[in-house]
Amino acid sequence: MILKNNLKEVRQKKGFTQEELGKSVDVSRQTIISIEVYRYKPTLELAMKISKKLNLKIEKLFYFED
Amino acid sequence: MTLSKKEISILIEIVFSILFAFIFIPYFYENNDNNLVLMDGLVRIVVEMIVFSTIYYSVAYSLLKFVFKKRETKDERDDLINSKSYKVGYLLYEFSLIIFIGYVCSRINFSFILKNLNNERLYENFTVTDAGVVFMILALLIIISIVKSLYQFYLYRTM
Repeated sequence: MILKNNLKEVRQKKGFTQEELGKSVDVSRQTIISIEVYRYKPTLELAMKISKKLNLKIEKLFYFED
Repeated sequence: MTLSKKEISILIEIVFSILFAFIFIPYFYENNDNNLVLMDGLVRIVVEMIVFSTIYYSVAYSLLKFVFKKRETKDERDDLINSKSYKVGYLLYEFSLIIFIGYVCSRINFSFILKNLNNERLYENFTVTDAGVVFMILALLIIISIVKSLYQFYLYRTM
């Protein structure tokens, strides 16, 4: 199972730039980029912060794919 | 290729290690067979090392601060990268320490045997001097530092 996410689509839909989203959850722009391209798996704390900021349930944002 | 402030600060560390190796290591290499008390200009070279390090880091980080005015946030990704690279550095340090101790002990043993055999010429080749030990420690620390920083830089580019 691979942990995937649709952070990029949701972020763009909500009108956030990577910089803005990163700033609002106290991480760098590079961290947001790394999460979007699946290079970095965020901690539960960061994943919950991002989903709260994007006003979306965490399981809608991060999901497992076989 | 655009580099972030963190990546440039890693490059600053790598450049420092390389410069340090090229400027100061030859002195210790040339005096490899000497004793520290007999080395000419040891105090001068130590003072030069301290002055060089201080000036290099002051200038480099001042320039970095001047170029990148915006403050970068330190987050969990940085912590992960740091812990991974420092772990590699620590493992290398442990491994090289074991090799180093083994090397020094074997040389001492050899020199002891050769002294008992009255082989003066070979005995001279196998004696361990304190300057030789300092040279090996400095060389090891620089190599480990470069490998750790390169791995850190690699992780920043790929993770």
